[in-house]
Amino acid sequence: MVSRRAALLGAGAAGGFALLPGTASATVELRDQVLAELTRVAPVDTGRVTLTIPGVAENGLSVYTIVEVESPMTEADHVRAVHILAANNPIARLFTASFTPASGIARVATNIRLGGSQEVTALAEMSDGSFWQDRKQVVVTIAACVDGG
Amino acid sequence: MALPKARVSMAETAKKGELVEIKTLMRHPMETGYRVDRVGKPIPRHIVQLLTVDYNGAEIFRMNMTQGVAANPYISFFALARESGDFLFRWEDDLGEVVTVTKTLTVT
Amino acid sequence: MKTTLDVTRRGFVVGGASAGFMLGMGLPLGDRLGAHAQTGFPDEINAWVVIQPDETVVIRIARSEMGQGTLTGLAQLVAEELECDWANVTTEYPTPATNLERGRVWQSMSTGGSRGIRESEQYVREGGAAARQMLIQAAADAWGVDASECTAAKGVISHEGSGQSTTYGQVAEAAAKLEVPSGIPLKDPKDWTIAGQPLKRLDTRDKLTGKQIYGADIKLPGMLNAAIRQCPIFEGKLASFDAAEVKNMPGVKHVVQVGDDAVAVVAERWWQAKTALDALPIEWDGGEHANLTSAEIAAFVEEGLDAEDAITGNTVGDAKAAIAAAASTVEAVYAYPFQHHATMEPMNATALWTEDRCEVWCPTQNGEAALAAAAEAAGLPPQQCEVYKYHLGGGFGRRGAVHDYVRQAVLIAQNVPGTPVKLLWTREEDMAHGAYHPITRAKMTAGLNEAGEITGLHVRIAGQSILAGLMPQRLQDGMDPVTFQCLAAEGDHALAYTFPNFLADHAMRNPPVRPGFWRGVNANQNAIYMECFIDEVAHAAGKDPLDFRMSMLGNHPKNAAVLKAVAERAGWGTPAPDGIFRGLAQCSAFGSHLAACAEISVTDGNLKIHRIVAATDSGHAVNPQQIEAQVEGSFVYGLSAMLYGECTVADGRIEQANFDTYPVMHIDEMPEVETIVMPSGGFWGGVGEPTIAVAAPAVLNALFAATGKRVRSFPLKHHDLSA
Repeated sequence: MVSRRAALLGAGAAGGFALLPGTASATVELRDQVLAELTRVAPVDTGRVTLTIPGVAENGLSVYTIVEVESPMTEADHVRAVHILAANNPIARLFTASFTPASGIARVATNIRLGGSQEVTALAEMSDGSFWQDRKQVVVTIAACVDGG
Repeated sequence: MALPKARVSMAETAKKGELVEIKTLMRHPMETGYRVDRVGKPIPRHIVQLLTVDYNGAEIFRMNMTQGVAANPYISFFALARESGDFLFRWEDDLGEVVTVTKTLTVT
Repeated sequence: MKTTLDVTRRGFVVGGASAGFMLGMGLPLGDRLGAHAQTGFPDEINAWVVIQPDETVVIRIARSEMGQGTLTGLAQLVAEELECDWANVTTEYPTPATNLERGRVWQSMSTGGSRGIRESEQYVREGGAAARQMLIQAAADAWGVDASECTAAKGVISHEGSGQSTTYGQVAEAAAKLEVPSGIPLKDPKDWTIAGQPLKRLDTRDKLTGKQIYGADIKLPGMLNAAIRQCPIFEGKLASFDAAEVKNMPGVKHVVQVGDDAVAVVAERWWQAKTALDALPIEWDGGEHANLTSAEIAAFVEEGLDAEDAITGNTVGDAKAAIAAAASTVEAVYAYPFQHHATMEPMNATALWTEDRCEVWCPTQNGEAALAAAAEAAGLPPQQCEVYKYHLGGGFGRRGAVHDYVRQAVLIAQNVPGTPVKLLWTREEDMAHGAYHPITRAKMTAGLNEAGEITGLHVRIAGQSILAGLMPQRLQDGMDPVTFQCLAAEGDHALAYTFPNFLADHAMRNPPVRPGFWRGVNANQNAIYMECFIDEVAHAAGKDPLDFRMSMLGNHPKNAAVLKAVAERAGWGTPAPDGIFRGLAQCSAFGSHLAACAEISVTDGNLKIHRIVAATDSGHAVNPQQIEAQVEGSFVYGLSAMLYGECTVADGRIEQANFDTYPVMHIDEMPEVETIVMPSGGFWGGVGEPTIAVAAPAVLNALFAATGKRVRSFPLKHHDLSA
């Protein structure tokens, strides 16, 4: 039995969420639960992270997303990881990109899926244990056909 | 001719200390597990879960993914040119399929 | 690129209209905002209201006008709170990129699901009320009196104590500098003087005089024209084309691949593009569906009628057990085909692309969706793109969820950076690439007791899910709630009857034909299934169809009220004129409660629909005349679908190509429609779609009364009604 939280994290070898389509609809509360798990409830500051994502997407199937974090990227001071979280996707955690000083710069770009209009969070985990974030609202227009808004 | 499953685009040479942009593309459905087939049955989840990048044997970048990453995952990032050597790109999906690509960087 | 629109405006030649009106709505707001980029928005009171010194009141409308009257209704709601002079009201569309830039101050631009007014009534009225308060405050400040001592009416502000008065136009500039207040109490709808009134539409005159232009009419300086052909086979691809064959034809500039399934010719004139496209050798990769036929699709869908596996949408008690134990049962199978939106104006969009900016002029039911589609196709952030909306020459759902035509226009324009290109689909292309009304079947099974009362009812829907096709992430544990419109346990589309045992379930069968939201959506066929079958059961039980329905509507008094209203108006229970027969239907859809009574005759096998009395309870009625118009218009659409609407499949493609093979009803077939607008207050229901659902079943039930024939598959044109 995969716990609900594990399912939301995308963890768990069984991948239990594959069996029940659409069962785990994330919410702001569950997103925050995942966030707390990742940060081990450490404080999260706003800044240093820049999440670049279109404010509007037609169907949310492929949304070009860039995350960049200010950091010297030295052994002593670098970005360990960037986590992308969504407040209203079936799985709250979309991906985690892990960096090393050899990355030179903490920047990753990819295409994400968004199941509906929502806030997207980019959470950066630094080598000193601090956490930084940026948040952006994205309107997914196709959802308006059934949900309004 | 079948297209390669994975492609990597990056410079072949770089100056020491230069940032090298790396663009990767993997052909994969990233099946979410939320879609249904023609008779309404769930289509099982099938996703690339992991991309790792080793530079001369040491991991420099890793990406863990869920179905929140779009089909045919495109991932771009950077590496710092330190010394000439090989980049090993390794994708692994949740059915255990592994695809690797190797690129050589000459540092001048 | 900032000057594009000014150039554009001079470039239009439309019936001698003055430049300012050539874009149909006056200046697009984006242009005005561009002009005022340095100074903010000096002429707006707030996001919703601009007052000009000459007392012109410009009300901003975020939703799209496609003939449904939302533009006028929303303006009435703002004007009601604003207390302006309705004679001075004009409207404009804010552009989608401006909405995004200003933090979505106008909120959603989506115009579908009969939500235009009901979803935004609160905040547009608040916008009008806030603007009124600011104008009053500005006058009070000038007079040095307390704003609470001032009143406003018809755009004039008065201070009784001092006898002073001024106009909105005179204080607008000062008002615009004030903070926008919030929490202003809204008027009780019973005190409305502008809203709730049957005012004339704001857009009628321009449409009648030809001043109104549509996306398909756009001409920009230096503009090229494109015609497109997409693989006609479902899920097929473009294999190859031989551009050399046509590149020397007159006017031809480019022959370009568009995505992986289409090719377009770009030429000086559209007819040149179309002519070259017709001559272009094209090979398609038909893929796995190249031989698909309607018969195969029907067999595939019908298999679901008795399938073991089905997803439950609504269940009360144990319907199957109740039916098994019933004194008698009634069973019937109904069938509903693919249908096409068939908008009068085919799909079109005009795009201007450069490496750092993309602009699109198009008809759309959701400006933000068009912007997103344009940005995604352009490979640019939405901030570097813009969409200029035009009134639609028909939407009906086709231009809401799917903006394929916008994407294509942008992809084509990328081949000619800096040059605008208008993509206009042919009617044939439009018919072949719809987002079709889904195909479904229904097996209706009722169990009755000795008294002829329904003890259990099972509705098995077999067929296509719109959500599975368009947005599978919105399925709920694999269940498509939209499939159960008019059959749901609660909400906008609740089943109005109370049965002791009830089951509605769905065996999903999704053929590879793109589904879409088609005006009324699944309420169309679900109301036919339920209302015709209830009629069948009433006759089987020897009961009057009105009494039978009423006996099961006790828990839904609003449905009982609309049904009673149409029955009384139509004279149900009194003898009809010779040869005239009546039929009833009722349901709830899109948050409103609907009923209809049809009167028809059949002579020598020819159906004549004489009259339909229709009642709509949408809670509030912002413009009763517009509601009447929507009911009448929806009956043209809904009855056309019942009589003629059918898309068939052969060789993996839609067979119908134009209005000769996909007819709509003619004016002489149109019945007299008597609409009873009966808002009962306390809720906001939709208007654009709901009433469509009761027209067809009312007619079909009257047809049974006339002929004893139960028509259970559509369209009606396939049935011989003689003898």
